[in-house]
Amino acid sequence: MMERRDPNDWRPYVARLLERKRVVVCCGAGGVGKTTTAAALGLGAAMLGKKALVLTIDPARRLAEAIGSPENARSPVPASDTRLKAANISGSLATWMVDPGVVFEGMVRRLTTDQAQATAILQNRIYLALAQLVAGMQEYTAAEALYGFVESGEYDIVILDTPPSRNALDFLEAPRKLSLFLDERIIGVFLPGSGGGGMFRNRARQIAHGVFARIFGEGFFDEVQQFLAAFSGMFSSMRAHAESVRTLLKSDASSFVVVTSPEPAALAEAAHLERTLTNELILPFSGFILNRSWAYTRGLAAPSDIVVPSGASPIDHAALAKLEQLAAEELALAERDRRLLAHLRQKKGRPDCEAAATPQLDGDIDFAALRLIAESLIAPPPIEDALESQRG
Amino acid sequence: MTEHRLILVTGKGGVGKTTVAAAIARGAAASGKRVLAAEISYESPRDAEEGGASTTSPLATALGTTPLVDAPRRIDGTSLWAARLSPLAGHLQFLRDTLPIQLLGDAAMKSAAVRRFFVAAPTLAELGIVYRLLHLLKQERAAGAEWELVVCDLPATGHALALAQVPQTLVDILRAGPIHHAAQEGLDLLRDAKRTTTVLVTLPEPLPVSEAVELHDGLHRLQIDCGLVVLNRVPRNPFTPEERAAVERLVPDRMRMLGARRLPRIDRANAAHDRLARELSLPVRVVHEADVDVSAAVMNELGVVT
Repeated sequence: MMERRDPNDWRPYVARLLERKRVVVCCGAGGVGKTTTAAALGLGAAMLGKKALVLTIDPARRLAEAIGSPENARSPVPASDTRLKAANISGSLATWMVDPGVVFEGMVRRLTTDQAQATAILQNRIYLALAQLVAGMQEYTAAEALYGFVESGEYDIVILDTPPSRNALDFLEAPRKLSLFLDERIIGVFLPGSGGGGMFRNRARQIAHGVFARIFGEGFFDEVQQFLAAFSGMFSSMRAHAESVRTLLKSDASSFVVVTSPEPAALAEAAHLERTLTNELILPFSGFILNRSWAYTRGLAAPSDIVVPSGASPIDHAALAKLEQLAAEELALAERDRRLLAHLRQKKGRPDCEAAATPQLDGDIDFAALRLIAESLIAPPPIEDALESQRG
Repeated sequence: MTEHRLILVTGKGGVGKTTVAAAIARGAAASGKRVLAAEISYESPRDAEEGGASTTSPLATALGTTPLVDAPRRIDGTSLWAARLSPLAGHLQFLRDTLPIQLLGDAAMKSAAVRRFFVAAPTLAELGIVYRLLHLLKQERAAGAEWELVVCDLPATGHALALAQVPQTLVDILRAGPIHHAAQEGLDLLRDAKRTTTVLVTLPEPLPVSEAVELHDGLHRLQIDCGLVVLNRVPRNPFTPEERAAVERLVPDRMRMLGARRLPRIDRANAAHDRLARELSLPVRVVHEADVDVSAAVMNELGVVT
């Protein structure tokens, strides 16, 4: 599915997304700066006057510092108001590092009416093991948290930084995976007396019991049964929830952007992600963000601008010659990234495909740097003609 | 490092683990060893249910071969094999080894309930991978494959630790039974510094270095040996100290000039190297950044998307 562009709307595509969407999901390979981009999108939304929430998965300490929100919070933390006011930002920005334990516990408590049942689930050894393990749970809880915050209506827009899994789209499968796990046919096998009897069912249960008892040991099977029995009251609401998450993500209210760096491996992954989003998952893909690009060179001087003092030593000349070589290399990178950007924008048969670039910044990301990135996304300075001015 | 049977290549996403894993595997194979390069592949539930192959295979790309499958495949004219490690293959192997008759194992995997359980239960994916790894390492003599070394490209920091954490969790939860034994055997392999070591790949910037130090500590807590740090994509420094001083003098505000943006990167790379050497007391191997050019292959790949 491809977004149709309003021919009268000439704002940069990221600004349009932040104005109109309720959910923006950032996908991309690990290490491309997804979390930073998600935070910059949140700040961008706040600059456009929105109440924005950024859900991150990575424990991005420095990013939290940059926005002025602490780590290890049990709920979203608003960015420092004074910092936003000082920067003349009218909207608001909150961030939360999704804590799978908190999300899951919240879900259990919300979906169980009975306090004793909630306690039984939360104290079950299998539940504890599941909730504690990062793999899998992070993906599920990201989807769950996203849905909860969108439903609450507390924020105009929620930006989700996807978990750093090998397959960056795993979290989309998470609700499905969970509903598979909770499939009645499995539950029926585990739970005596559930789903009606019948000879076939009982036979299936005996076989499964035999297999699982052999694999896991008799005691573990009993514990799985207890866990599922305590959980069983929640299954239908959890499945309904999982379905709602999918519906939301497929709707016009959501948008997927693929973040990439200019690294070949990241670009290959970005291409793969775009294909999967558009062709297989049929999700509203909006465009690419080429992160940490060298494309912006406007305002930079060239080494040839340096006035070499009279009486400069041979070392000075050698040093400047080497600096010019580095400048030439950097210019080559700038050209490469502009070509890439043009390439990402002009996909054959997809006239509406969009791409934006963020600049290569030095060192750690602080609030000022984040603002620069946000500005380059919602109100990008022209870059295409900059090369000419460099040469001129 | 050459005496090890298993080298796990790990690091945060995007640091170039796969390239490093491929280089280690190729290097060991070139020295005459029989080497298996392996990549971990968590198929999506859909793939697993349909038994389909992985859609992306970064290690295959790095080795210049076709996408990897469960069965190790020899790369022509070398002593290098390549395979993927998938949970499903491990589960099947496990059921075959555990259940009395092989047929029952196959039948169990055909049962939708058992299959779905294995796909969906989070811990079991990692255990399947560890089990597959054990199987491949053991297989050597009997099956005539005799890999002297398995080089494994691990997905990302979280998963590298999860891979080791999961057997521990399972050993704790299940006090007996076949899974307990398999998990214990996996733990023994991972924790045997004579057989297993890790190569930690990182980038020459403050944050990746901090993450590498944390990962190193995590591995240490799990009692897994770490033998080498690879500092990848280090910018080349063309300047002698005298020339550097001259540049500093001639370019006062170096941030505003084309080319001069290399200088702070060089400084951060040096600081990164010093910090790693100081805090980890491990050998640090520097790999310089190649002249970055987007290969024709990648441009084609992107072109295909259009």
